[in-house]
Amino acid sequence: MTQQLFAFGAAFLGSAVESVEALTIVLAVGLTRGWRAPLYGTVAALVALAVLVVLFGQLIVERVPELTLKLIIGTLLLLFGLRWLHKAVLRSAGVVAMHDEEHAYQQTVNELQGAARKDWVGFVIAFKGVFLEGLEVVFIVVAVGGTSRFLPFAVAGGLLAMVAVAVTGLVVRKPLARVPENTLKYGVGILLTSIGTFWAAEGMGARWPLDFVSIFFLVIAFFVASRLAVMLVRRRPALA
Amino acid sequence: MRFLRSAAREVIGLFVSDWVQTVVILAIIAACWMAIAVLHVTAFAVLVAMVLLLAAQHIWFTLAEARHSSRPTSPSPSQS
Repeated sequence: MTQQLFAFGAAFLGSAVESVEALTIVLAVGLTRGWRAPLYGTVAALVALAVLVVLFGQLIVERVPELTLKLIIGTLLLLFGLRWLHKAVLRSAGVVAMHDEEHAYQQTVNELQGAARKDWVGFVIAFKGVFLEGLEVVFIVVAVGGTSRFLPFAVAGGLLAMVAVAVTGLVVRKPLARVPENTLKYGVGILLTSIGTFWAAEGMGARWPLDFVSIFFLVIAFFVASRLAVMLVRRRPALA
Repeated sequence: MRFLRSAAREVIGLFVSDWVQTVVILAIIAACWMAIAVLHVTAFAVLVAMVLLLAAQHIWFTLAEARHSSRPTSPSPSQS
């Protein structure tokens, strides 16, 4: 049951972060140019993403040998998680600006005001935003669910997060700036890095002591490393 | 076509932010795989080494980027 919850939780958190970013783009288009085109764009992107989950999810679960799958997906998950963690640490240390949904919203509105007044612009911007942000969700869902053989749990986690964010966005009708997106990304980065390390090693043929419980120790190890990185970045001598 | 190019860039960008760091991570994984599968080194020792190396490269590359970001950009000849 712990593994199912893990797959669900990782997919839910990863999907929530990306859904907030996609929602900002759709809201900016909808509130600036009307709702019809961005809603069509969103639906088209969601259909394309669902096709990707079904295709790759099935292909991965049914065709690829387990050890090979764990090594490849584990390595990709490790690269993906470390990328998120790297950015989150730089944000925590104040080197990179925090991701600001209000700013992202205003940027999209500005882009739209300069664009020709044609309906397809709203469709394309919403489609592109939802599809590209959704690609990360698809990867997390397929990687977490496919490798652990709990794809339905991961899909449920990803879908639930998307629906929760969409409903909240529909109610408040403005960017969800209060969601602690940077902290979430930091947490999910550590989680995905730990799961990636766990599976990559299993794919090599190694067995972890305590099996799945080792992931908690990996989470602690990567958390300590990231805090150490934040501390060292903050303490580095300022350049004259 | 532009959309496809941007989507391809986005897909690569999911996994790669710095090519050198990516090569280092892949080298760590390849070395660990070789140690376990080919050289039959004790798996636990390899696992500990792998986690330490991954954590160390994370700290190293974060510091390197922080140093790079705070470096003042030199003015171009036309500006000086």
